[in-house]
Order: sequence, then structure tokens, then C-alpha cells
Amino acid sequence: MHAKRADYTPVKASVKASLEAHPQAVVVLIALITASVVTSLLPPLVLKEVINSLTAGQAIPFTLAGLYLFLVVVADLFETAQNSAITIFGQKITHGLRSVLCAKLDRLPATYFTTHPAGRITSVFVNDGDTIDTLYSDGVVGMLADSFKLIGILFIIFHECPGLGILLVILTPFLFVLTRHFQRSTLSAQRDNRQAIGRVSNHVPETIRNIRMIHVLGKERYMEDRYDTYISESYTAVNRSNFYDGIYSPIIKTIQTAVVAVMMIAAVSGLELQSLFGLSVGSAVAVIAYVAKIFTPIENIGMELQNIQTAIAGLRHISEFLNEPELVPPAPARPVQEDAAIVFDDVTFGYVPDQPVLQHLSFTIAPGEHVFFLGRSGAGKSTIFRLLLGLYTPQGGSIRLFGRAPETITAREKRQLYGCVEQDFKPVVGTLREQITLFDAAITDTAVWEALRLARLEGVVRGLPKGLDTDMSLSLFSRGQLQLLSIARAIVLSPKVLLLDEITANVDSQTEQDVLQALAAAAEGRTVLSISHRLSTLMKDKRKIHLT
Amino acid sequence: MIGITKGQIDHPDRILSYFKRELPILGIVTVTGLLYNLGLGAGPYFEGLMAQCLYDILRHDAVPMDMVKIATAYVVVLGLVQAMRAGKRYSVRIFSAQISWIMRHTLYHSLVHMSRHELGRENLGNLMTKAVSDVDACSEGMRKFTTEIFDTGVALVVYFVMLLVYDWRLTFLACCMIPVAYVLANRLKHVVSRANIAYKGAEGRLNLMTMDRISHALTYRINGREAQRNASYETQLTAYEKASAKANIFEGSMMPIYNAIAMGGMLMIFYFGGRNVLGDGWMAWDIASFTTYVACFTKLAIKTSHAAKLFNAVQKAQVSWQRLKPLLGLHVAQAEAPAQAAPAPAAPVTLTLSDVTCRYDAASPSLAHLSFTAKPGEIIGITGVVASGKSMLGKLFIDEVPWRGTIRLGDRDFRDLTQAERRSYISYMGHEPELMTATIEENIALGDPIDVWPYLQSVCLDEEIAALPDQAQTVAGSSGTQLSGGQQARIALARTLAHVKPIVVLDDPLASVDPKGEGRILANLRAAGQDKVILYISHRLLHFPDFDRVLFLHDGTGTCGTHTELMSRCPAYAELYRKQAEGVDYDAR
Repeated sequence: MHAKRADYTPVKASVKASLEAHPQAVVVLIALITASVVTSLLPPLVLKEVINSLTAGQAIPFTLAGLYLFLVVVADLFETAQNSAITIFGQKITHGLRSVLCAKLDRLPATYFTTHPAGRITSVFVNDGDTIDTLYSDGVVGMLADSFKLIGILFIIFHECPGLGILLVILTPFLFVLTRHFQRSTLSAQRDNRQAIGRVSNHVPETIRNIRMIHVLGKERYMEDRYDTYISESYTAVNRSNFYDGIYSPIIKTIQTAVVAVMMIAAVSGLELQSLFGLSVGSAVAVIAYVAKIFTPIENIGMELQNIQTAIAGLRHISEFLNEPELVPPAPARPVQEDAAIVFDDVTFGYVPDQPVLQHLSFTIAPGEHVFFLGRSGAGKSTIFRLLLGLYTPQGGSIRLFGRAPETITAREKRQLYGCVEQDFKPVVGTLREQITLFDAAITDTAVWEALRLARLEGVVRGLPKGLDTDMSLSLFSRGQLQLLSIARAIVLSPKVLLLDEITANVDSQTEQDVLQALAAAAEGRTVLSISHRLSTLMKDKRKIHLT
Repeated sequence: MIGITKGQIDHPDRILSYFKRELPILGIVTVTGLLYNLGLGAGPYFEGLMAQCLYDILRHDAVPMDMVKIATAYVVVLGLVQAMRAGKRYSVRIFSAQISWIMRHTLYHSLVHMSRHELGRENLGNLMTKAVSDVDACSEGMRKFTTEIFDTGVALVVYFVMLLVYDWRLTFLACCMIPVAYVLANRLKHVVSRANIAYKGAEGRLNLMTMDRISHALTYRINGREAQRNASYETQLTAYEKASAKANIFEGSMMPIYNAIAMGGMLMIFYFGGRNVLGDGWMAWDIASFTTYVACFTKLAIKTSHAAKLFNAVQKAQVSWQRLKPLLGLHVAQAEAPAQAAPAPAAPVTLTLSDVTCRYDAASPSLAHLSFTAKPGEIIGITGVVASGKSMLGKLFIDEVPWRGTIRLGDRDFRDLTQAERRSYISYMGHEPELMTATIEENIALGDPIDVWPYLQSVCLDEEIAALPDQAQTVAGSSGTQLSGGQQARIALARTLAHVKPIVVLDDPLASVDPKGEGRILANLRAAGQDKVILYISHRLLHFPDFDRVLFLHDGTGTCGTHTELMSRCPAYAELYRKQAEGVDYDAR
């Protein structure tokens, strides 16, 4: 099972930091657990005194009745407080961990994002993050509380009826093994079900995606049969888990009944046993109540062990993510004084070092110049842009943007130096305004409208009832308009350089005209670098750099 | 274990239909549920008897054998009660699983018969995907509802009647706190549900933000926005932590409070019950009555606090049901559509288009006055510049584009054919490979007993597949990443060939295959398609000279002729062909 020992150091450090940040939370938690365990054990003891005074022929003293009620209420309240504290505690740890995960994003190389699907990384944050909550609240801390409770109950039972105590101590390991057996079987059935459900859930979008093929080939029946197979697999697995689930609790209750019966018979059976099982009527009633209570923590501890086991997988994913190699911080480089806007000086670069995409590439672009990069796909056109944006560092040679190495440009300066329009618009979650500002509060609405005007989108946005406050949705715009939005985003801070990556590749010829006109306006007075794999009339009189 | 009852359901949009369909299993649930809950009183009853017996033995009013008898009866009766409980628990779960199965089956049946157009409209596709998860919530709700009817409803009645029998006056006094608990519960319910909604909202926003932060990591990086996004994320984390703590505290604090309030009745029991035992109360009680009464009351109080769960479960199920109902209702409309009988395989025919005009809708550009004839064994190349309507023309044959004019298949009018008959004539393959997450073999055969290798050979893929570690058992589809775009396209073509019909419409099937490969595959196509009409839509003209005829789409219409004819007669076609031959398109390697 443990094929590879994961290095949990970063997770441990994060948990430790969370604990140290809230020392009072830990103290409160421990105090509440203790209080909750102790108070929950007391009411049956009072009940014993109540019965004993009745068997002695005396009326129940009011104080005793009051005490009983008080203890029940207090025990309930402490239990609530304990559960809340455990939740809050787990949430604090998860919060700390998610902050650490988020900070890690800044330090990961660009390659990480291009080679790992966003969905999978998100799942580390969301699902695996939740398992850490489970690990602590429903695992470690819960187990601690239940162990206390178990020991407390055993202690009282020993005190009231040593024979029963011995009986339970002998029985507990068996009960525990039985419980674990059931829990493991349930877990394996649930795992099978989750796999089946995975196939079920995958089949639906897949059907929607492939609906034309299904209809054209007349395979509706076949697809239905496949689906029925998947939901039947799920049914069978659920059925298995239901079976265990259905009979476990009745078995435990029956054992509990038998234990009580044995105790009562032993209590009256004869001299030797009586010394061990000797009971007053009050104790008998109290002990019956305790026997009912002892099964809950046993069951819980089994569950908590399982939670810990399951959470380990999540813990491993998080640790792997946090242990990913990080970007090397750029060496501080002194800016070079030069007239050129962009200089590639003998640049060699490959995503994998021994498979170079660019070899000894050199060119210089003057401020205000418009340059086209041409070449077949894979020739390295987009790579040039990624290097200019500082996403990667070349293995050989040097790149300068207004005399500076791209990776040394600070976050604040980036959008004033360059704007990049990619093949597809990347809609961020937010309003239209935020599509352009990218959440930069320093950008005024005036600047946003000016960018929209240059991108020929002002009219469209003004036409929306909520204007800039409209929530972004892809259905608001046509494909071409999305490219215009992308242009507005790129130029809002009036960058000196515009990088255009095949921006008309995915639009029809009519929209292409709109986009090109918007660009002509936006490009004025800037240095423009364009990538294209088609020749067009635009390139007349412009400098072209062919990549092979 | 009980197997699935497969099959259909009448009126899937009525909730009662499901209960009706599962009547036998509900019968078992009812019998075991009633017996179990009636037997619930047995526990406290016997425990009281045993306490009394102990008291009597200690006072030498009874002998140990009496205790053995009572204890044995206790174990036997409670064992039976628990057996009933196991039966009830298992059968009610079967009930829920059955419902989940039939709901999923019904939803999917509607889905697979919906047209691409319907699925695109109003985002029905997304809706259906979500509906599948609603099924779980709904069947779970129906299970809880059924369970709680017995476990809360019947159990409450049993305990209450038992208490009444012991001392009705005391029972009314002791239970008067329970309504207080209910009133409070109702007051608190709003607060709790509001906190819960806030929590779910915060969770949704956090997840959305996480996805956004990660999927646009590089966009934020190149624009220098990472630090600000992290700060926002931190703010959202704090908001989420607070909302989650609040919701948890509210939800968790309800139960103990009900319980504590309901247990307030205990004071009455200690006072009046104590007097009963001592002989100066309303009823004459012994110790057994007292302990039984106390135990029963405690259980009643706990059940009371669970009653809120019943309402919650039902409410949740209702929400899911409301979302599911219209989708399940779609099935009713489906059932009225003619059943898709598989018509006999269609014989080779000649395809004739005369003066055909088509367009997606009134706002989009149209293709007009198209006329051409294609005989079995012929390949017609169809081309034109970007957005000239090539793909639209192809989709006309699969009912995705409205058209006017006359299309004849042999001596039959295309318009007069039923949908099933039309499908029996047309093979269509679009840009998307539309592969499923299944093995290559499964993707091609689609459940039919077909040897896939000849088809793999036709598309020049046999050697590549044979070289894969799992050969034709390699998984293709969205999760099968090891296949290149060209390989996927060729698998899709092999699938089309394996289920080929007399008229084959191929929309740029080999765009991602190199020209040499395209040539070989086209030769195979011609050899295999002796009795087929092949319409080959492509933007790449390299092999057009080999085709029987070419249909060149331009200026909203089409010109048809052999390649040589078009080269001399149609300057636009000639220019397009020459440009490509010069290799201006950098992607046409």
C-alpha cells in the first residue's frame, strides 16, 4: 500500500503554523472535550441515586431531580460546544493549508500549468483540502474524544460492577474487530460504487458530446445498454454496502442486549459471581444505561480510523503538490541602455533542455515597429512570446525588453510594458469591468471605457442593462467580440508593446475585418509583434521574420 | 441480496408512480418497520422487569431462576425486534436504489433521443448532467421519508401510548415541554437554513475562485496580478471559514437544545413518578414501571429531536424533485414519437440534388441553387474558402440544416422518408472524432460483432495500433490522451466505415493527417466504396484532381464539374488550387 513514502513536511509545517497562530483554540478544544466527556458520563450516576432512594422507600429529593436535569442539559451543551470547536479547529487548519497551497501557485514554473490539467490541481485545493479537515476533525481529534469517553465509561462500569467491566474489556477487542470488518466491507463497496458512479457521470456528458454520432449510426439502444450496465454496477455495489449497513447496527444492539442479560443473571446467580457482579437496583439501571453508551465510541473510533486512512491519500496529493520544484528567483540584472524595444541575442531555448525549439535566434525590433512572425506550427512562434512574457528563461543567449531581462520586470510594470492578445479569450470569473482590469482597483472606469472604445466594443457594452457591472458570460459575445475584449484587456494600461498571437485564427472573415480595424487603432504608436500562419494583405510593407 | 427490477415506468413525472412501482418492497418495509417499531417498547419494558426482579431477589421475594427467565425472554424478543429492524433497514435501502436506477434509466432514455439542437438550446445538456446528481438527492429523500415515517412517526406513537398506559396524567404533564421544543425549532429553522445557504454560497464562491485562480494562473502571471488574486483568495477563505463555522454551530446546536427542553419533563417524572412508586401518586407503580417509564421518556425525547431531520430530508428531496420533474416528463413526449425500428439495410442509390437551397436560419448566409448528381462508386470533392458553407451542406443530410428544393435517393424523395429511413441511407462524419471513453475496438464496433482490423487497415492505422502495448484494447476518448488528433480522426473514420450506409458524407475527416496518408486512405476508400456515393468535404485540394467531380462553393452557390473543367471554367477555384500547390498555407506541411 505504501509504495512510496511521501514527504509530509510542508503539510506538517502548515498545521503547526495554524496551531501556533491559535494557541487558545487548542486549549479551548481540549477543555471542551474533557468537559463534554465528563458531563456526558454523569447523568446515569444520578439516576442510580434516584432509584436507590426509591428502593429505600424514600421520595426523590428535589436536589437530585434538579441535578439530573441540569447535568443532562449541561452535557448536551458541552457536546454541542465540543462539536463546534472541533469543526472550527478543522476549518482553521484547512484555511491555513489552502493559503499555503495558493502561495505555492506563484512559485510554480509555467510548465507545471501547461502539463497539469487545471481540474486536477483544483481538486488538490478543494477535495484534498477537505480531506485534511476530515483528517483532523473527524479523525485525530474525534478519536481522542471517543477514546476518552470509552475509557471513562469502562472506568465507571468497573467501579459499579467489576464483573461487567471485565466482561466488556474482554469483549471490546472482538467488537472492535467486528466493527472494522463491517466498515472495511462497506468502504470497499462504496469504493466500487464511486467508480461505477464515475462511469455513470462520465457517460452523460460523453453522450451529449457524441450525440450526432449516436444518432447518425443509430446507436441509441447501444448507448442505453451501456448506461444500464453502469447504473446496474452501481446498484450492485450500493446493494452490498446497504446489506452491511442494514445489519451492522441490529447485530450490535443484539450483542448489547445479551451483555445486559448476562450481567443481570450473573448478579443474582451465586456467591462467587455475586462478589464481582453485586449490584444495587440503582446501579443496575445506571449500568444498563452505560452499556448502551459504550458501543457508540467503539463504532466511532472504527469510523475515525477509516477517515484517517482515506484522508492519507488526500494528504499525499497535497504533499506532492507542495513538494513540486519551484521557480528559481531571477538574478538581479542591471538594465542595459539601448535604443531597441526588443532584442533576442543568440537565444537558444527548449521546454525540455535537450530538445531546443529555438536555436541561436537573434533579432532586434525598434520602438514603434510592426513585425510578423511566420512559420509552420511548432516552429516556435508562440515560444518567442512566452519568453518575452518572462514565463520561461532561455538556456542560452539573452532577451531584453527595453534593456531589461523579462523575468526581472515587476508585477506592477508588466501591463504598462506589454499587452498580450492570445488566440482565445480567457474569461475570468467576475464582471465585464474585471475582464479588463483583472481586478486592479487602480484602473478607473474612464480608462476601461477608453480601452473598450479603442477595441470597438463600447457600443455593445453600453447596450447591456448593467453595463460594466454585467457578470461575464461567454454567451454575451460572439467569438470575434471576445477577441475585441481581449484587445481591450491588453491595451487598458497603454502598454508600449502589443503581442498578438494568431488572433484571427478562430474567427470568420467578417469578424476578422472588425478585429483588424480595432487592432489598427490600438496599434497606433506601439511596437507590435504578430504571429500568423497565413499570409495576408496586412503584411504588405511590414517586416516578416520567418521561423523554420 | 435482492437484484434490480429493470424495465420501464409509466408516468415518470409523478412521484406516486415510483411508490406504486416498488409496492412489493414497500410491503416488506411496512411489515418489518411496523413490527420493529412496535417492538421498540420491549427494551425498556424488559429492563424495568429485570430491575424489579433484582429488587425482589435482594428482598428475597423472587428466586434467581425468575431473572434467568426474564433475561432469556429479553434477549429472544429483542433479537427478533432487531431482526425486523435489519429487514426494514435493508429493504428501505433497496427501495431507494431501485428508484435511483429507474430515474437514471428514464432520464438517460430521454437524453439519448434528444437532438443535438435540443441539447444545445437552453443548455439542456448541462441541465441533464446536473439532473443525474439530483437523482441521488431525490431517491435518498424518498428513502429517508419512508424510513422516518416508521422510525419517527410510528415510534413516537408507540412510546407515547406506552407512557399513557403507565400514567396518562403524568404523561401529559411530562410531554408538555415537547411542543415548546417544536415551536423553538420552527423559529430556529429559518436561522439555520439561512446560515446553511450562506455557507453553501461561500463554498460555491470559493470553489469557483479556486478554479479561476488555477486555470488562469498564467494569465494572471503575465499580467502581474498574482499577488492581488492571492489576497482576494485569502479574503474568500476567511469568509468561507466563518460561514462554515456559523452553519455548523447552528446545525449542531439544534439537537441538544430540543433534547434538553424535552427532557425538562423529567422533573415531573421524578416528582410524580416517585410518588407513584411510594404509593401516594395517581397510579400504583413498582420499580419496573418507574425505570421503564424513564427509559421510554428518554427515547421519546431523542426521537422528538430527530423529527426535524424528517422535515429537512423531505424538503431537500422536494427541491431535487422539482428540478427533476420536467426532465422526467420529457420522456412522456418521447414515448409518443415513433419507435426507432431499424429499417433493412438500404441498397445502393444515386443521389440527385436539384436546385437545393439551405441556410441555418434567416440571419445566416445561405447556399442556393445547388444541383449535382452522384452515382454509386463516385467520389465528389466539395470545397470552398473559409465560411463558404461546406460544413452546412454536409449537415443538410443529417437534418441539422433546413433546406428547399429536391433531393432524390434513386427514385425516392428524401423529404418523404421517415427519420429512421433517412438515417439508413446516410453515413456522416463531422470534424469532431466523437470518440467514447472505451477501447479502440469498442469505439469502432459499438457493440456489433465486427472484426475491426480490416477497417483499421483501410484508414492506415493498423500498424500504429498493433504497435501500441494494448493494441485495439487501448482506451480512446477524452481520457485516452495517448492518441494523437490524427489517430483519433482515423479511428472515427474506421467507425464510419464499419457502419457504412449507401451515401457517405465526410466533412474534412483527414484534416490532421499528412497528405501522403490522406492519399493512401482515399485510395482505400475508393476501393471499398464501389457501391457508395462519397461526398468528400475538404479545404485541402491536393487530391481533388483524382475525384470524379468537384463541387466548388462560392458566392452563396456552387459550381460542379470535373477538376479539369473547374480549373479552366472557374478562376476562383483555379486560384485556390494554385495557392495551395505553392504551399502558402504553412500548416499544410
